[in-house]
Amino acid sequence: MPVEVILPKVDMDMETGTIEAWHVKEGDLVRQGDTIFEIGTNKAVMEVEAPASGAIRGIKLETGVPITVGTPVAWIYLDGEAATTPSEPAAAAASVAAATSNPEGASPASGASAAQSVAPGLRATPLARRMARQNGLDLKAVAGTGPRGRIGEADVKRHLEQRPRCAPAQETRPAPVPAASNSEGRLQPFSAIRRIVANRLSESMRTAPHFYLTSEIEMSASRDLLRRLAARHERIGVPKPSITVLIARIAARILRDHPVINASAEGEATRFHERIDIGIAMERDGDLVVPVLRDAGNMDMPAMTREFARLRDGMARRTLTPAELGGGTFTISNLGMYGVDSFTAIINPPQGAILAVGQTVDKPVGRDGQIVLRPMANFTLSSDHRIVDGVAAARFMADLREALESPEVLL
Amino acid sequence: MSPDQKPNQRPELAALDDATVAQALTRMHLIRKFEEAAEASYMRGLIHGTMHLSIGQEASAVGTTLPLEAHDYILSTHRGHGHCIARGAEPKLMFAEFFGKETGYCKGRGGSMHIADVDGGNLGANGIVGGGLPIAVGVGMSIKAQKNGRVCMVFFGDGASNEGAFHEALNMASIWKLPVVFVCENNKYGMSMDISRAMAVTNVADRAAAYAMPGHCLDGNDLAGVAAVAREAIARARSGEGPSLIECKTYRWRGHSKSDRNLYRTKEEIEEWRAQDPIRRLEDELKAHDRFDAAALMKLEEDAQRDIDAAVEFARACPDPDPKDLTRDVYAL
Amino acid sequence: MPSDTLEAAAEIRELSYAEAVREALGQAMEADERVFLFGEDVGVYGGAFGVSGDLVHRFGKERVIDTPISELGIAGAAVGAAITGMRPVLEIQFSDFVTLAMEQLVNQAAKIRFMFGGKASVPMVVRLPGGSGTGAAAQHSQSLEAWFAHVPGLKVLQPSTPHDAKGMLLAAIDDPNPVLIFEHKLLYKTKGHVPAEAYRVPIGQAAIRREGTDVTIVGSSIMARKAEAAAERLAADGISAEVIDLRSIRPIDFTTIAESVRKTHRLLVVYEGVKTMGIGAEISAMIAESEVFDFLDAPIIRLGGADAPIPYNPVLEKAAVPQEDDIVTAATNLVRRGEA
Repeated sequence: MPVEVILPKVDMDMETGTIEAWHVKEGDLVRQGDTIFEIGTNKAVMEVEAPASGAIRGIKLETGVPITVGTPVAWIYLDGEAATTPSEPAAAAASVAAATSNPEGASPASGASAAQSVAPGLRATPLARRMARQNGLDLKAVAGTGPRGRIGEADVKRHLEQRPRCAPAQETRPAPVPAASNSEGRLQPFSAIRRIVANRLSESMRTAPHFYLTSEIEMSASRDLLRRLAARHERIGVPKPSITVLIARIAARILRDHPVINASAEGEATRFHERIDIGIAMERDGDLVVPVLRDAGNMDMPAMTREFARLRDGMARRTLTPAELGGGTFTISNLGMYGVDSFTAIINPPQGAILAVGQTVDKPVGRDGQIVLRPMANFTLSSDHRIVDGVAAARFMADLREALESPEVLL
Repeated sequence: MSPDQKPNQRPELAALDDATVAQALTRMHLIRKFEEAAEASYMRGLIHGTMHLSIGQEASAVGTTLPLEAHDYILSTHRGHGHCIARGAEPKLMFAEFFGKETGYCKGRGGSMHIADVDGGNLGANGIVGGGLPIAVGVGMSIKAQKNGRVCMVFFGDGASNEGAFHEALNMASIWKLPVVFVCENNKYGMSMDISRAMAVTNVADRAAAYAMPGHCLDGNDLAGVAAVAREAIARARSGEGPSLIECKTYRWRGHSKSDRNLYRTKEEIEEWRAQDPIRRLEDELKAHDRFDAAALMKLEEDAQRDIDAAVEFARACPDPDPKDLTRDVYAL
Repeated sequence: MPSDTLEAAAEIRELSYAEAVREALGQAMEADERVFLFGEDVGVYGGAFGVSGDLVHRFGKERVIDTPISELGIAGAAVGAAITGMRPVLEIQFSDFVTLAMEQLVNQAAKIRFMFGGKASVPMVVRLPGGSGTGAAAQHSQSLEAWFAHVPGLKVLQPSTPHDAKGMLLAAIDDPNPVLIFEHKLLYKTKGHVPAEAYRVPIGQAAIRREGTDVTIVGSSIMARKAEAAAERLAADGISAEVIDLRSIRPIDFTTIAESVRKTHRLLVVYEGVKTMGIGAEISAMIAESEVFDFLDAPIIRLGGADAPIPYNPVLEKAAVPQEDDIVTAATNLVRRGEA
């Protein structure tokens, strides 16, 4: 028996995933452990390894469409195994044309493959299937808007109307419509992660009414503390702490006193999180990813520094799991290292707030009636007004200022 | 010689002239030969389902129906071959039905338990114990409404007299004085259940009192005695005085059906009843009174056997029904 | 439809459902001496629901016959009268009591013709007042029509209007087969146009009560009326429902249902009998088996009676069978969301 390659469940609440790219092609020989395809969840892209060694066949070619967890997407045939079995998806797919051209007169054998000509897990009404047959349309290309993604008559009609007149029927996804005024230049489809980010952030802006509070905070004491912590860390074999980690540490501490900032909108309710999980916005190959410092409220600086280093390293090596890349309760985005003075960030849904950190620069400020230079940085809190009020956000910012200006009191 | 000239002859027997007696004997022989042949066919695998044999009960079937007129109705039971033959059914068409042939009385759709000859006044045997009893009420209503002077005779067993249908039917027939004769063939067992364990009264006929109709309790193996009482009940029904209940105490020599192993009764009991063979009893009585000699009686039996043999041959050669006609007679058009 | 042309010619007059049934009985008895009525309290009492009314005075107690309380006996009597040349019309006082008469209807009436190789026919009519809504509780409120629709040899009708109640009863009396007519008790007082002459509504033809394009709602008896009312409300909400009144559930007019579903792509079946193993199951299966399957754009939805005996409490009683609101909701969900 060939070994089934399924779309694996790689995250706890994952029900479907999409194949983002195949690393192998039909007939390739693979060794157990080789990466054979990439799977996208709503949080991350994961690589999936071959479960056995052999020739890969029956690849479910379509990428980018949601597939139910556990669905077979290919088969690995061991040496000498016959390349056709009744359950082989490729064989079934190949029979579609024959089956549809003669649906009535199908022999029992071809009838069986006709029954499988619809991708497993694809939901479509009989009418939609009939219309697809008549129009030579592959239903896999049609987005279903019915219950559980079921494709109905309206979906097929919409698809047929949108389909370019001469386009081949097998097109899997409608190409993005280029802007009419500027059709030159390179058109690069979104990466999987780009698409996820795009969707999530669009949804955030659409559903969460954002408001922004900015504070300019003196960083002298925080800088001093970082210098002293660096020395201490060196003694105990921990990397140097960064300003981002210190801000995360301080934020994690004061969030305890601001439960509404460590909260999420859930339908028409506010979910107050017990644990403080701080996401740190990072960049990887031009994509935005947000690894999470899990239970940051109970970490001291060495622990958080170590964890931050591990996450950054794992992100670069692409070894982080979807669980490590999602599910925070609050996010910090620091663009200070790029010389940005201040900015407003889009909330990472369903969280209630995000803190945007600008660069620290020496600025003239008034102190005791004198103009003096002090290291200053802009902190902007974006809040979801559905769950966070202005005063609550302002109180958080006041505590943030106090803590950053006298961090040792807090730590 | 006319029968009334014979000394010591019972009036019941004397009331039957020679032609009538010969006809009755012929029918009794036909019934027995028919059932013996059916049994033999069954054992040779020619008959598909089961059957309920009435061998030993011939006097009841023939005696009760003897006084009926041609246009009168009967309703029969699952043990009903005797009633059909007693009313003149053709054994060859009955065998054709047994063999499931298109030429059978019911075109092979009914089989042993559903032989009917509606045009001949046989409104059908019945697979349901007591099934014919309420139907007889409706037939009585028809006769009364149509004022056609007919009578309906309905057969049932001792077991059926414990069904609600029996009581509902007797009650309605009585309140409306319907021309119905209820004939209970009490053969002592409802399948295996002895009547003494199944009935609170000793005789089924005792139940007639509850419905204000005459109840007659008879030796069911005495053809002449049965015929005499039936004649009285039929006359009463026809005259509009209402129904009667006749109980013929008799015995089936064979088991309830072909799957019966006779675990509930003794060989001795069966032998005791075989000694009461209604056919031999009648023949002996006729010989004793010099109404028929042995040779004449033998000829009646041999003729009956020949008819039955021919009937089996006929039926075996008949065509089977066509499966495409399966649903043909579900509805009348 | 032939009945429509008859209506156009007839005087416009309204009768209640019960009056329409009585008129049909009277006309049948006038036209044919073989026709007679019998049942419990159908004589001077006029029937438990007043359907036979004054017929005993018009036709005498020889033709309008009070019977003892013997459901099995009278059902059998109908069989016996039918096979010997009469045209009996039997009333089972409450359809629930037909349980006592099952033997004669199922083993005898339905099968005699077939068992006898087509050599007999059983032209009898049984009228059975049924259904819930009167507070009569579990043994006087059932909808048992599906039981009988399961029996080859019987015909089962469920007229919903006074017009059909009369026309179908006359057709049933003409029919050479045993015909059971389930009359919903709540319909007896409903009024409608009934032509005066004796007309027939053919058995086995459904009626399209309202044309529509979005969803087909199939019902019979009172459910057809509820479906019509629901369709009116659905129209106000922009949903175009086609309402099919089955009128006859055996034989069933599958063609009309199939043609409608082919057009609307959605099917909602409404029936008062218990949903499980009911009429809706049969209709759903027939559609699913047929070539109309390929025209379905949503699952078929059944709205049927609860899996419970009919309760006494009026709130529970209503909850036990589909109501107009349920039909509106189900049809809306089916059209708008693609499921129940």
